[in-house]
Formats: sequence, structure tokens, C-alpha cells
Amino acid sequence: MVLKVFRWSPGFRERIQRFWVPAKEGMTVLDALVDAQRRLDSTLAFRYACRVGMCGSCGMVINGRERWACRTLLKSLKTRIVTVRPLYHFPLIRDLVVDLAPLAEQAARVGAAFVPKEEPAAFAQVGADALERQRIDPAIECIGCGMCVSACTMVANDERFPGPAALNRLFTLDTDRRDAGHADRAAVLLSEDTLMRCHTQANCTDVCPMEISPTASILALRRRAVRGLLG
Amino acid sequence: MPKRPRRILRRRWATTEGWRGTRAGMWAWLVQRAAAIALLAVIVLHVRTPYWRGVQMTLLALVLAHGLLGARAIVLDFGLPVRWHRLLLVIAVALAAVIFAAVWGWRWS
Repeated sequence: MVLKVFRWSPGFRERIQRFWVPAKEGMTVLDALVDAQRRLDSTLAFRYACRVGMCGSCGMVINGRERWACRTLLKSLKTRIVTVRPLYHFPLIRDLVVDLAPLAEQAARVGAAFVPKEEPAAFAQVGADALERQRIDPAIECIGCGMCVSACTMVANDERFPGPAALNRLFTLDTDRRDAGHADRAAVLLSEDTLMRCHTQANCTDVCPMEISPTASILALRRRAVRGLLG
Repeated sequence: MPKRPRRILRRRWATTEGWRGTRAGMWAWLVQRAAAIALLAVIVLHVRTPYWRGVQMTLLALVLAHGLLGARAIVLDFGLPVRWHRLLLVIAVALAAVIFAAVWGWRWS
């Protein structure tokens, strides 16, 4: 099989480098990249850690779509030519490695961090059967891989749009009654470049490896904001 | 040491790679917007030539595409599970085809 890999490093022009890698049964895109790095070009840079689909470090754009390399079988791509590019909308560091710092920066900018109440209960419990818990649960498994931000076309067009990951986190906090920051975030949520900027294309939902739907979180926040405006 | 400008990749829409992997929700959004722009031109044409069948058919097709994809977006806004968005697109397209065929049979065949 042919691996077409995006190559770039500071001071050099970008290019696509081809690697011929023998495809084996059960081989993933990450396996192919490791093989290319070990046998053909040790300067090829990419990030991975757990190799088993837990950490999200190996998120990249494979054949035009955001996927994690460690869980993408070559066989599943149904082609002998596989194109691998770094995630979009993040600062490039080198080759397939991007700087994921904007994920945390955008979350901080919209206040997507827990705000404790002045006198918190000693141990605030939210029961497993509580409606609040059931609403939050599907949205809390984010592993910060950045694939949703890469897939979002609105992030590409509006730098002030915080992106799906930050807004999904914001939804979990805004639904949590133990959090005291709801009122402070209202102005941010209603600003022109936040909730209203999402065009419900659901690209983020389609690519999330944890099957979270940031689109659903954004729509829920939007309904809540509109209800707040109407009183 | 001077700080280098940040290099951020964006999809290049003028390339095939930029469109590769484009998903259903994106197509639904794009077609609805494109239909809105096309409607402006076709409505003007329709006012000038109200009995020209080709314009009537184009107008109906655009109205159906724009309206039904808009309805899809509205039901998602109102809380229908986002996981259904592809199914909703299929329903919108199928409904548009059925209505178009029904009007064709009634008025133009």
C-alpha cells in the first residue's frame, strides 16, 4: 500500500511524501506510520501514546476524514492509497503533530471551567438516576483529541467561535447544579460568535471517536439560552 | 529568538482533498444555502416568464430543497436527536422527490 503523508517543519515548504508499506492483516494506519518511520524515514513526526483508542493522541485526517490512527484499520479504508494529514485548525508543530493548546485556551476564554459555590456541600451527590446526571453523562467522555475542532467548518471561518469541544464542556457545566458560573456565562453564550455561530452541520458529531455529540450540546445550550431570553 | 508565525492548516475548498470526507450534514447545509441563492435568480426569471415550464420546475425543485432542508434544521433545533440527522436528510430528499413527482404528474405530464 502507499501512504501519502503530509510533511512540514518550520522553515521548510510543505510536501506530500509517499511511503510504500507492506499491508498486513489487522494493520492500522498507526502501524503503517510506525513501520514507515522505522524502516524508511526516521525524521517522520507523529504523535501517539496508548495505541488502543483511549488517549486520542493519534487523531489525524486520514483520507479526508478525522480519525484516530490506532483504531483505523487499513482494510476499513478500502483503498490501497492512504492520505494522512495533520488535524486542521491547530498550529502545526511538525509533520502530523499539532499543538492542541487552543483546546484549553478556547475553553478558558468562554469560562468552561468549574466554578465552586461559596459554601459547597461537604459531598455534593448527583444520583445516577437524576435527570441532570442523565443529560450530562453522554457529554463527559471527551478525551481532548481535537478531531471535532478539526472537522468544524465554523472554526475555520470565525476565530472567535470557541468550537465544539469547549461548548460541549460548557454544556456539562451549565447543566450541573453544583456549578456557580451559570449566570456569568450567559453573556458569552448569547454573544454573536458563540452558540449562534454553529450551523448544525454535525461534522463534530460524525467524527467524535467517543461518540459524543457536541452538536446536541450546543443545540441544548441554544434552547436554554432562548428560553432564558423569553423568560 | 524571534517568534515564528503560527502555521494553521485549513481545508482548501478548491482542491479535491478539501472536499474529501465531506459529510451528510455539511451537504445538507450547503445545498440549502445554495438553493436560497439560486431561488433569488429563479424567482426573478419566473416573474418575467411565468408560463415557462422549465423555470416553473426549477423553482419548485429549489423551493422544495430549501424548505425541506430548512425544516430538517428546525426539527434538530427543537431537540430531535442529532444522531438522526442523516436519516432526516434522506427523508427530506425523498419527500422532495415525491412532492416534485406528484406536481409533475398533476400539472406537467
